[in-house]
Amino acid sequence: MKRYLIFAYALVLFMLPAHSQLINKQQLSPRQTGYTIDARLDPVSKVVTGSMNAFWVNMSNDVVPDIQLHLYMNAFKNGNSTLNIETHGYRKQKQSEYGWINIVSFKDRNGVNLTPFMNFISPDDGNISDQTVMRVRLPKPVSPGDTVFINVEFETKLPSHIRRTGYNDDFYFVAQWFPKFGVYEPVGMRYATKGGWNCHQFHYNSEFYSNHSLYTVNITVPNEYIVGSGGLQMEEPSSDQKAGTKTIRYRAEDIVDFAWTAWPGYSVFYDKWKNVEITLLIPKERTEQVGRQFGSVKNALEYFSANVGAYPWPYLTIVDPPAKGDGAGGMEYTTLFTSSSSYMMPEFLHFPEMVTVHEFGHAYFMGILASNEFEEPWLDEGVNSFWEERIMDHYYGENSGLMDNPLLKLADNSYGRIMYVSSDRRQTVSNNEYSWNYPYGTYGMMSYFKTATWLYTLMGIVGEETTNEIFREYYKKWAFKHPSGKDFVNVVNDVVPRINGNKFGNDMNWFFDQTLYGTGICDYKVSRIFNDQIEFQSDYSAVPDTLKRNSDVSEKRYKSVAELERAGEVMLPVDVLIHFTNGDEIHESWDGKSRFKDFIYIGSRRIEWVKIDPDYKIKMDINYINNSMTIRPDRIPVRRFSYKLIAFMQFFISFISL
Amino acid sequence: MKIAASVKSGITRSLRAWKGILIMWFVILLMVSMVAIPMKGVLQSGLGDSMITEKLAAGINIDFFADMSASFKSLVSYFSNGLLMIIITGFFINTFLTGGLFNSLKKHSGSFSYNEFFKSSADNFWSFSGISLIVNLIIVLVAIVVIIIPISVFEQAEFSSEGSLFKAVIITISIFLLIVAYLYIVADYARAWQAISDKGGCFRALRFAFRQTAGTFFLSCSLMLILLLFQLFYGLVVFKLLTQYKPVSGIGVFMLFLFSQILFYIKLMMKATRYGSITKMMELNTVSPDQ
Repeated sequence: MKRYLIFAYALVLFMLPAHSQLINKQQLSPRQTGYTIDARLDPVSKVVTGSMNAFWVNMSNDVVPDIQLHLYMNAFKNGNSTLNIETHGYRKQKQSEYGWINIVSFKDRNGVNLTPFMNFISPDDGNISDQTVMRVRLPKPVSPGDTVFINVEFETKLPSHIRRTGYNDDFYFVAQWFPKFGVYEPVGMRYATKGGWNCHQFHYNSEFYSNHSLYTVNITVPNEYIVGSGGLQMEEPSSDQKAGTKTIRYRAEDIVDFAWTAWPGYSVFYDKWKNVEITLLIPKERTEQVGRQFGSVKNALEYFSANVGAYPWPYLTIVDPPAKGDGAGGMEYTTLFTSSSSYMMPEFLHFPEMVTVHEFGHAYFMGILASNEFEEPWLDEGVNSFWEERIMDHYYGENSGLMDNPLLKLADNSYGRIMYVSSDRRQTVSNNEYSWNYPYGTYGMMSYFKTATWLYTLMGIVGEETTNEIFREYYKKWAFKHPSGKDFVNVVNDVVPRINGNKFGNDMNWFFDQTLYGTGICDYKVSRIFNDQIEFQSDYSAVPDTLKRNSDVSEKRYKSVAELERAGEVMLPVDVLIHFTNGDEIHESWDGKSRFKDFIYIGSRRIEWVKIDPDYKIKMDINYINNSMTIRPDRIPVRRFSYKLIAFMQFFISFISL
Repeated sequence: MKIAASVKSGITRSLRAWKGILIMWFVILLMVSMVAIPMKGVLQSGLGDSMITEKLAAGINIDFFADMSASFKSLVSYFSNGLLMIIITGFFINTFLTGGLFNSLKKHSGSFSYNEFFKSSADNFWSFSGISLIVNLIIVLVAIVVIIIPISVFEQAEFSSEGSLFKAVIITISIFLLIVAYLYIVADYARAWQAISDKGGCFRALRFAFRQTAGTFFLSCSLMLILLLFQLFYGLVVFKLLTQYKPVSGIGVFMLFLFSQILFYIKLMMKATRYGSITKMMELNTVSPDQ
């Protein structure tokens, strides 16, 4: 009895901070889960030893018989794990190079040993060799409103080949390292038709779907290590002189994952944007990159805050891993993310800025909104890529968001569009697919780039301000609530008619059916221009001038036709600009539904050129070349290109010959 | 003094051999055109009557190439295959014509004769090919030994860091370039000797060249570095000029062509000056070419 009293007291102590506010004034999420972890890094064995108290609150109306947890480090345990099968990356390794998580003990609130009730499951692919999801049958099912407390002792061996997580030499990036609850989805949540755990295995593509949680993590490392984490450091590190270690206490509120890094070679820099304290951990030799990193993250903070919603945490940690830890680069853990720069990275290449903006953006879509990246990767990666492209091109130049060199400029949105339009597999699958089901080599192109391209197209149709309003509403309505794709579509269907009336119909489903759920391509083209002179007459007054100009009755009349064609399956409304030989221009609109469309004019002017989508709003159009046609093509640029090519090749030959 | 005399003589000799250089320019233009003109055709047919060329006004536009789709693949195919063809045929044609050029640059070569130019081109072809192949092979080996192996080892070393790796790359490349300059001297001496000597054989020529370079190391290296630095500076200026110049009219584009070809002709003249200067240096320092 006494034992139970002590345990109950410990639980009360544990739960008190769970509902206290140390970082934000208000609780941001329901905090269905929480973790208090003592972690100790052993740099010799490359093992993190952990002791964890965690809870899960059953907020559903269901009686739940079990809990499910991610044990993602087991993805590196053997060559037959789902991760290794998906990457075809298995190679014979030394035992010391593998990674795994070993559960030493697993107890419930009463101290009952639950290890006999643990078993591995593979809900995604039935792979019995995969041990990344663990199910624990509970001695007593959890009633609605009840809380499950667990106490877990674990050992996490880090893998040597860093793929998001692991170590190289004395560099450590510790992610996916502790047993973490899956998400229990009751009926009606997202697509759930019956209550159950949503706990996916560890896959090559996609990483996150978790509850917003409370974390208190004490990390013990050797004294010389510099540590960064997704939490806020709560007090000065305590030092154990005898052991030569220090313990740092972190707390994080309402984030979906907790990762940390330790390396003696970091330099630490601080900056601030409004109330957000920004910490940057960067290799000592890369200090010339500090300004770029801070500048880009501040740009992202400003743009997201203005156009989506507030960044709700008062801190942020950026980690720029050293070259030996580059496998950890370009990852997101909400309040901590990793960028990717290098020593002497030229200023004209905005790659580090792009990675920083992208990974920071995940704080919104994976962190705050926290959609299910496994099942709807487009809703995180794709939407985030759209914002990344907008931010990069906004701050670093409309045509030079990614590269700004006199010889070659590259907009970030152009890069994204090119990755989609130039792929010969762009029609293999729709955007609405589970991450691990994408055919080989299509995941990135579809999840990131196609999504960003059709979101740009949506913005081209409904306008920039309406698009921003969509995202503001999406944020306001769904922050910390795990929205699904259909929730996003519903927001669009609410906002667009509210701002634009019936201009685009009652809803925008026609758009999403073709772009998000469809596999068609969009390609509008000008097929032909012709200007036929109407049979000679001495008096053309009988021939009406459809251009409604006061033409001289003796002026020749032409029947001028612009023939347009919809070469792809996707039907979108497009603008058409028709230019006449005398400089007149007519703006036409085409709903883009029919296969062919003729614009016919009779009058004294002839069509000189025609442009479909003259402002390049329809980024999904896979071929801009056929969007326009002229009766006087300009050959100069091609000749200029050819002559320069000839000269450069001549110099090249002369250069390589002795 | 010898350096100034060599450079002066090199300039005079290259001016005297302007017709030979003109032949080289013309042959290279023909060769490059065989690749560039079909590429132009592919580009033109890919564009049709589109107005997308507006996007090229500001320079290379990536969207434009992406949208070319199949045409772009043809373009890349033409370029990559064409470049390979140019490298291979360029090597042999250049080697052939250099034989004639070295002959025109030697002392007492008299007035330029087309017959003499092509005859010496043919006479020197095999030994010049041998010299070029061997020196190029040495350059590749030097690149492996001086750059690739040390950098690979350095990268794996525990003490290596990003900054030190970068410095190591700069240092090894600098050393490599100095060795390449040295090998250029060897190649030039060997060919100059071959053009003067009645005796054939690339190995004998190279043996002479290595001995000559070693014997006049400071003079030869200084001369070569001065000449190469001039060429490098000129190359950078030309690159800047050609990339910045974006004519928009027909006459402007024709002027671009003319201008670029004049610049290339000057480049060949500078190369001939290098050959002539080294030949002169050899003449100043060698009692007899049979040495």
